[in-house]
Amino acid sequence: MTPRLLIALVLLLPADGRAADDRDKTPGKIPAKQAEFFEREVRPLFVKHCFECHSAKSKPLQGGLRLDTRKDTRKGGESGPVIVPGKPGESLLIDAVRHDGIKMPPKRKLTPREILILERWVALGAPDPRTGGPSLSAVAPDSPQARAWWAFRPFQSSVPRPTDDTWSRNRIDRFVLYRLRENRLAPSPSADRRTLIRRLSFDLVGLGPTPEDVDAFVADDAPGACDRLVERLLASPAYGEHWGRFWLDKARYADALPGFESSTANPWRYRDWVVRTLNEGAGYDDFVSRQLATDLIKDTGPDDLAALGFFGLSPTYWKELKLDISLVRETVAKELEERVDVFGRTFLGLTLSCSRCHDHKFDPISNRDYYAIGGVLMSSRPVDRPLAGDDVWLPIREAREQVRNLTVGLAKMREQLPKTAANKKRFKQIEAKIAAIRKSTEFASNTVMVRAVEEASIHVVPDGPARNRIEFRHGKPRDLHIHIRGNPMRKGPLVPRRFLEVLTAGKLTPFRQGSGRLELARAMFTDGHPLVARVIVNRIWEQHFGQGLVRTPSNFGTQGQRPSHPGLLDDLSARFVAHNWSLKWLHREITASAAYRQSSRNRPDGQASDPDNRLLWRFTPRRLAIEPWRDAMLQVTGSLDQRLGGAAGNLGDDNYSRRTLYGKIDRKTLSVILKMHDFPDPGAHSARRKPTTTPVQQLFAMNSPFLFQRADRLATVIGIGNGKPLPSHIHDAYRILFQRQPGSDELALGERFLSGNPAADKRQRAARWSRYLHALLASNEFLFVD
Amino acid sequence: MILDDPQATTRIPQLDPLSRRAMIGRLGGGLGATGVASALSADQSLSHYGGKARRVIQLFMNGGPYQGDLFDPKPALKKFEGQRPPGATLRTERITAGLLPSIRKFAPRGNSGVIVSDLLPEISRVIDDVCVLKGCHSDNPNHNPAMFLMNCGALTSAVPSVGSWVSYGLGSENRNLPSYVVLATGYPVEAPLTWTSAFLPNHHQGTHINHSNLAPEKIIPFLRNARYDRKVQRRQLDLLGQLNRKHLENRGGGDRLASRIQSMETAFRMQFEATDAFNLEQESKQTRDAYGTGKFANGCLLARRLCERGVRYVQLYYDGGQPWDTHNNHNERMVTLTRNVDRPIASLIADLKQRGLLEDTLVVWGGEFGRTPVSENGNGRDHNHHGFSMWMAGGGVRGGMTYGETDDFGFKAVTDKVHVHDVHATMLHLLGIDHTQLTYRYAGRDFRLTDVYGRVVNEILV
Repeated sequence: MTPRLLIALVLLLPADGRAADDRDKTPGKIPAKQAEFFEREVRPLFVKHCFECHSAKSKPLQGGLRLDTRKDTRKGGESGPVIVPGKPGESLLIDAVRHDGIKMPPKRKLTPREILILERWVALGAPDPRTGGPSLSAVAPDSPQARAWWAFRPFQSSVPRPTDDTWSRNRIDRFVLYRLRENRLAPSPSADRRTLIRRLSFDLVGLGPTPEDVDAFVADDAPGACDRLVERLLASPAYGEHWGRFWLDKARYADALPGFESSTANPWRYRDWVVRTLNEGAGYDDFVSRQLATDLIKDTGPDDLAALGFFGLSPTYWKELKLDISLVRETVAKELEERVDVFGRTFLGLTLSCSRCHDHKFDPISNRDYYAIGGVLMSSRPVDRPLAGDDVWLPIREAREQVRNLTVGLAKMREQLPKTAANKKRFKQIEAKIAAIRKSTEFASNTVMVRAVEEASIHVVPDGPARNRIEFRHGKPRDLHIHIRGNPMRKGPLVPRRFLEVLTAGKLTPFRQGSGRLELARAMFTDGHPLVARVIVNRIWEQHFGQGLVRTPSNFGTQGQRPSHPGLLDDLSARFVAHNWSLKWLHREITASAAYRQSSRNRPDGQASDPDNRLLWRFTPRRLAIEPWRDAMLQVTGSLDQRLGGAAGNLGDDNYSRRTLYGKIDRKTLSVILKMHDFPDPGAHSARRKPTTTPVQQLFAMNSPFLFQRADRLATVIGIGNGKPLPSHIHDAYRILFQRQPGSDELALGERFLSGNPAADKRQRAARWSRYLHALLASNEFLFVD
Repeated sequence: MILDDPQATTRIPQLDPLSRRAMIGRLGGGLGATGVASALSADQSLSHYGGKARRVIQLFMNGGPYQGDLFDPKPALKKFEGQRPPGATLRTERITAGLLPSIRKFAPRGNSGVIVSDLLPEISRVIDDVCVLKGCHSDNPNHNPAMFLMNCGALTSAVPSVGSWVSYGLGSENRNLPSYVVLATGYPVEAPLTWTSAFLPNHHQGTHINHSNLAPEKIIPFLRNARYDRKVQRRQLDLLGQLNRKHLENRGGGDRLASRIQSMETAFRMQFEATDAFNLEQESKQTRDAYGTGKFANGCLLARRLCERGVRYVQLYYDGGQPWDTHNNHNERMVTLTRNVDRPIASLIADLKQRGLLEDTLVVWGGEFGRTPVSENGNGRDHNHHGFSMWMAGGGVRGGMTYGETDDFGFKAVTDKVHVHDVHATMLHLLGIDHTQLTYRYAGRDFRLTDVYGRVVNEILV
């Protein structure tokens, strides 16, 4: 073993058993770091190299040894125990993988790194967090073991009752306080009013408070001032704009869709639908069901069709129909994979797309499950359609198909027929026919078009010897054959469209109503409700606290992280469901907690024992995302255009003064300002934004015309040059930007920067002011929320 | 430009994998936590190799150059001219006719005697540093998927590009410049998705530079401050620094706050260093003459300047669109195309060598696929993913050799075949990265550039 490798592995596995996270004991009483080491490094290695011959699924089981449960691994096989915990030198397993005597795996020796992992694991005492039977991936999805996974089982929690509790404001706090005390930490005191209003404003509406709002809030002595503020913010249309953007990250929303099909629809109508529906306070069950299947829901009319943009705006990839059919089918299969992925991760927090080629390696999701969901999506064709009922839509669709067929036919004839006068005349006639259909009122309908899905299944079929075509069969949903090892040319058994087995309470029932989208939604909010609720509650929590209770918000499977406060997540989720899945209720409950209202000030004791603040001993300070940061700069300079909705605009235009939400998102070419500020790839579901700090971002803050313009504007707003004394202007700037008075040293710094050469003329003084205000706008205080 | 701050040109020495890991560890929440955990273990393998190459220049002949006019002569074409014997009927994108012989003259060149055509007289002079891969093949004869495969290792978008993987795996040698730069005077097909970082952190994405305009502000957005000169800006940043430090103190510290303060200073220096890197006026007349004139020649020279300054991965496209896509007037167009690249490329290799940079700079040449030996439209050639040539030079590759062969017509790779995944595996290997170990956890699984494929072509290594 080289020293470098050893050091590397030590880095990989913090050996200090007292590290902060270790208080999260796994059921086997193993420190969390060791459990994670096992899950990340050891278990995958077993799965990859050993399970073929040494697990419940092995036929035959080799050497009587199973490595898929903790018990069996400890017990060993026909040759006796294979592990002596703490002693790699005496462990048969280590001899075997070193090919010292026995050779395992027999054909291919593990890499030095893999061997090192196993040695390290045994040396640590072979910590093995697995409980009960074989790993979830090795058990049947409908087995009790699979269903007992924390994220799948019914809610279970009992609310702790900490003694002498004068801190808690609601049930959330009792969970938080209990965990803090277990770890000998105390919560932080409440933040002051100025900090709170800034925090609440940015959290709920993505904009800062005005100086007037701050003054009123600070002066409000009556009880419930905070709650009233929350109500006011939740009632503001800006709420939907801010939280809509959060949702659009999950839905990989884009305004420009490069890809296979040209679209006449207006993607922004989906964005506006999301904003409006959140503002209306729809329950999450309703919000999601309509996005999956509003066309199949009786009481939502055709004007709700924009909701279907969730799948309607799916990425499509280029399909060259002249190529071999296997290539075309593979591309279609890739599109399906992306749709299954966005469905699984957004709503269920499960990585369903891992099961395209085989059963999920870690979670109880089968290859069949993938194609059961896949069938629903392959029966739902993304399409442009009007915001109108079938009576309007069907004739238009018919006319369009005629035009398409005629156009294709004409192109073929032109290619194949000689250009004789007679033929030319025939071409002309067809052209005229096409024009006539186009002109007919049915075709050129004035109805607003949206990108949605319709009940039509998608098929790739040969079209002559050297061509293929994509065929859409209206009203004919299809089940999918399993693609063996993910290969669309290799047909496995047919799988009926249905919900996931592990989440289905009773008997598995195939979907019967059309594509099954509505039944899928219903299943999610009945049988699947504990998981679905935990996933969204965790996401909302994450938006408020900066980190989720589960830190892998789109992976609640065995490869994701466990919740830091499992009881809290369950209790909050259960109450969320009982409150009709109301997101606004959830915001109220979270923001009313003492945990949320804590000061964000750093504390040495907390920093030492829990630097990541998993236990919530303070509020974690947060950097604004690009949207609220840009919006706030427009707002404090009195330039923000607060109109709601409509077509997207150009963020590259420095005069564009609408909220950043309305900037155009192009899947191919993301706007420069979004790209440099951690905006996620709009071609795939984003679990969470990953904040980076790069010099290119600072160049924007230092040099962009947008910032120059904001600084100049701010000077006007403050009234620079109106004769007031310099300190008074500095006071105003601090009040508008930071909701506070400047300190005496800050005042001195400002005065020194601004006074300079007394002989300076008016223009030079104005330039100096602009530079000063520019620095304040670019400061950490303006960008971060305490 | 003279830099008055000596710190501004100081480069971080190449970080060894362990200190890079430690550095990422310190950044903590700066990157996706789960992804980093798996990626940290990934570069473990670096310590096994100690790659010869530290950086890459990829010369991309977008559109797909015809191998049979350059490195892979096939006399049998003459014999079957105009016919479609067995082996000449492979399916490609379009309808093709009979075999169309090359009109080029071939001869052994250099001490090694590698065969090169008369279209590349200058490259012939440096052929002893070049290893030609004649048995390359890809999966799809369409530009779009083929561009994705060559750039990102998959036929569709949504996975990171090679340059992003390399940037992610090795980091930057110069914190004042992006680690992955794409020089293209227009957008090639599917760009900019072809240099996407997809799920890798954003700053690993290729920074596209349209070098037909070398104005600094076109190079890196907001690089130039249009209002304040350096002294005035320095004073403003001093104020900002003081305000930020006080803010930090009041809060009892904080990593994010501190790193933004640091980052501001880096950005300040970057304004001058990046401008400097793109200033070709600093080159001697002799050097400029050697590279010649034109957009591609400038691109080659810029590539060298960026490499010298520690940019990890430079990708230079011939131009926007698909200029090598010679569906018609093939012979005429090949003359122009090769004339534009021959001298700049040869000078680049000679220049790198003379400066001692070639030994740790890997130069890769090729398109997204090759072209057919059969004719299209009588005087054109169709796309060909079945067999084509690429070449590599420097960075631990054996010069003056060829590897692999196509069939008698140069249509399909038959011996010592090298798939695109193998090209990627070999590139990573030369950089000291085991392609099976450089992974990123996303959507529940570990992704790799080479997916589940890839073989390192050991036969061409020094």
